[in-house]
Amino acid sequence: MAQHTNPDRELFERGVLARLNGVDAGYGAETVLHHVDFEARAGEVALVSGPTAAGKTTLMHLLRLSLAPRAGRALLMGLDVRRARESARAKAKRRIGYVAENPVFVEHWSAFDNIALPLRMSGRKPTEYVDDVRELVNFVGLGEASADEPVETLSGAGRRRTAIARALAAKPDLILADDPTSGMSPSDGRRIVRLLAEMRRVGAGVIIASQDESLAECGPILRWRIDRGRVSPVDQDFEAEAAE
Amino acid sequence: MKNALAGMERALFWTLTIAAFAAAAVGLGARAVDRVAASYETAQQNYAIVRIAAPEGPEAMAAAESALTHSSHVASAAPMTAGRAAALLQQSVTAEDMPPLQLIEIELNPAERHVDVSGDLVAALAQGGVTAEIVQAPQGQGPGGTAARVRVAVLAGAIAFALIMALIISLVARGLAARRRELVTVLADCGATRGQAAGRVADEAAITGLYAGLLGGVLAGMIAFLALILAIPDATPETLSQMILPLDLVPIAAAPLGAAIAASFGARAAAGFFHEQAARLD
Repeated sequence: MAQHTNPDRELFERGVLARLNGVDAGYGAETVLHHVDFEARAGEVALVSGPTAAGKTTLMHLLRLSLAPRAGRALLMGLDVRRARESARAKAKRRIGYVAENPVFVEHWSAFDNIALPLRMSGRKPTEYVDDVRELVNFVGLGEASADEPVETLSGAGRRRTAIARALAAKPDLILADDPTSGMSPSDGRRIVRLLAEMRRVGAGVIIASQDESLAECGPILRWRIDRGRVSPVDQDFEAEAAE
Repeated sequence: MKNALAGMERALFWTLTIAAFAAAAVGLGARAVDRVAASYETAQQNYAIVRIAAPEGPEAMAAAESALTHSSHVASAAPMTAGRAAALLQQSVTAEDMPPLQLIEIELNPAERHVDVSGDLVAALAQGGVTAEIVQAPQGQGPGGTAARVRVAVLAGAIAFALIMALIISLVARGLAARRRELVTVLADCGATRGQAAGRVADEAAITGLYAGLLGGVLAGMIAFLALILAIPDATPETLSQMILPLDLVPIAAAPLGAAIAASFGARAAAGFFHEQAARLD
């Protein structure tokens, strides 16, 4: 009996987490992204850099399935976004960890409870996840004392670390970080990027959007440039030669 | 529940409680009116007075009483005494001043609407050699009577009022959901579907509504009990508890359930809207 295979699903299984072909996206009457071609793979870290209002956050919303493409083909987690049902999109979304530019928390909950939320959503009991969450708290450098404090009392850096820990909690396949270093000192920012880049070791794909191009120096990071809604890969070999 | 019922939540909880109390109180009032109207209706339907026109004297009264007691329509028949007549006239005439009465009070059995009870009674009396007329025949029988119309109007009014209170509870629950907007946003970011996010907020609102309804219902019940003690002469808690039927307690029992459903409905709608806003930005 012939087996029916889904080519989109096959691509995902081969490590293609996101593939955009000629995608347009925007809000209301405004189209922000124009004819975007982009790809992210498992085990890779990508930095999408560009000036303010270039479309970085819109690209992140598109990749986290909160914005529908208007044209072109968007393949995310093996799912053709334009054709997928809401339930399938929600299922795919649970495999994406997202660190927002201005992360939203349940402010009166502790950082620990906020981090554990994706695990609670997946039906795990506190006794099953308490050690994992403690480990994450240490991994992002939040500190156990801060983890038990309500998020509303944390500093900007503490909130950022909490957001990263929450994005990593459900062991996502794809991690999106929108300007994760904003408001941080350069050294703290680099530490955060290194932390995110570490996730490639467990097979996750990481996409970081930032104005700061120098973050690419934090490790083996693929670079993309975005300007006025157009995304293009940066020819790193050429740049390295030019620098020499 | 962390920080439960703090600040605004407490105010919303009491608004829910007051709405549930109002709905239950109106329900109990409607039930009281219904019972009074029902007993009035029964009394009206089952009571009549027969005036003996001829012949006169105790023999005629005895013959009429005998004829009436043998009628299938009559449950009991008794000549009206002077004292009873004076009482009915509310003491405007004393029993001593009352002329000899040719009246018989009768209690009727329930009859079909199409049966001419008065005609049958007059015929039965005529067969017994007595000429009589029915002075106060059953009035307002069946569902077309005034009492029946009052009962229907009161029931419809109570239901309409309960629906308005449910709408208020549902709107208040939207306020409760708005207090959970950040949670809905976080859940949407974490990949919760609309149903999951809205369900979580709706469950919380339903529990709050349940407690508010329980409190409102019990308060309404206590005040109704107190009002009956004060309104009915010589009433005691024991006699009242014997008077109260299980059906009378329906508004109290319905208050928590109705409040929970209305609160859940309102919160679910609002949380679903917030989820949609958070999950889809275009």
